[in-house]
Amino acid sequence: MAYKYCVAECWGKGFITHGDSSKFQVSGFPGNVWQIPANSQDANLWVNKVAGSWKTKAEAQAIVDEQVAIAQAAWDALPDEQKQLPIGRQRPTAIVLE
Amino acid sequence: MATYYGTYGQKVQYLASDPSDPQTGQVWYNSTSAVLKVRSVTTSGTWAAGGNLGTARRVLGGAGTQTAGLAFGGLTTVNTAETEEYGGTSWTAGGNLGTARRDLGGTGTQTAALAIGGFVLPSGNTAATEEYDGTSWTSGGNLGTTRRVMGAAGTQTSALAFGGFIPPDSTATEEYDGTSWTAGGNMGTARRSPAGAGTQTAALAFGGFLYPTSNATEEYDGTSWTTGGNLGTPRTTLGGSGIQTAALAFGGLTDADAGLSATELYNGTSWTANPTGLNTARGVLGGSTAGTQTSALAFGGYTGTAPTAATEEWTGPGIGETKTVTVS
Repeated sequence: MAYKYCVAECWGKGFITHGDSSKFQVSGFPGNVWQIPANSQDANLWVNKVAGSWKTKAEAQAIVDEQVAIAQAAWDALPDEQKQLPIGRQRPTAIVLE
Repeated sequence: MATYYGTYGQKVQYLASDPSDPQTGQVWYNSTSAVLKVRSVTTSGTWAAGGNLGTARRVLGGAGTQTAGLAFGGLTTVNTAETEEYGGTSWTAGGNLGTARRDLGGTGTQTAALAIGGFVLPSGNTAATEEYDGTSWTSGGNLGTTRRVMGAAGTQTSALAFGGFIPPDSTATEEYDGTSWTAGGNMGTARRSPAGAGTQTAALAFGGFLYPTSNATEEYDGTSWTTGGNLGTPRTTLGGSGIQTAALAFGGLTDADAGLSATELYNGTSWTANPTGLNTARGVLGGSTAGTQTSALAFGGYTGTAPTAATEEWTGPGIGETKTVTVS
């Protein structure tokens, strides 16, 4: 499936409605990047509703990469004993947008 | 040519407005909007955005329902004691836990919740239980087996805690009567971070971490655990809601700690994947443990890079909806 990307801040209730979700899948990524299906009028209308800023795939990937790098740096700065905890035990890994 | 009356023995109603309580399968013509309508039921569930948590956090405790949820404890950059209450639209501050902790178990309702065990700095795992009355937390009976990241089910006065990490990973099951914990039947498989649903005498444990992540489901009858149908997506630190014969699994983490969006429904025998998942993929999240398979809440968690404040509301399949019939 082909996708499009935008950046929008989730304000909470009403940002994505059940009506939206019943028509298309919205998937969130770090940096307030949202992935929606391409060639979907409903998805395009949703981006307008949330005042999303369209991004190319490369632009969206760059935003995600920056957030992952920040998370990796934060993880690297953790004391060793915290890195051994059973939850969140691994260094954040790269996310590749489809 | 076949007619609607000939096929179904009923006439299509001609109405100025939609009926207030249409029955599934009912067909009518809305003369005001000049459209033919039918009442049907949804065949899949959907997640919609709810109000964001005031404090983004992961490995938190959760309780309550979609319209009366409760989030407590967890990890921001430090362990937190904060409690927040959800009213169906937004979160407001509740009374703080007596002890700030993460990796805790949670069950019950917004006004009668239970916080179970967890991880406290600098001392480590805790056996402490706290009870919430809608305003403040008070001490309850201590767990017999001190641990964190266990599963939980039931109510404040009839709860179940199972699995977790001591170390090592635990099979221990304990039953709470509102005052003290007593040992129940051990799980078949030791695991940390399973999700829970149901009651003390009819509970469900699913997913968790077993090296690697697990898809195993076990069912408790008040005495012992038996195997149930496997999750389609193996995962740990997922959310759960519902009862033993109608449960919901959502989110979780992969072996690589990547957030998942997958949502599955259990019918007492097997899990079925919903076509769509959480809009924000995540694990170590909170869930409405008193919710149902058709009405649940997911909040907080870890996306794979950062803690999140995002809340999502689940409406399951089988919900009535009015559709416009398009004939050309």
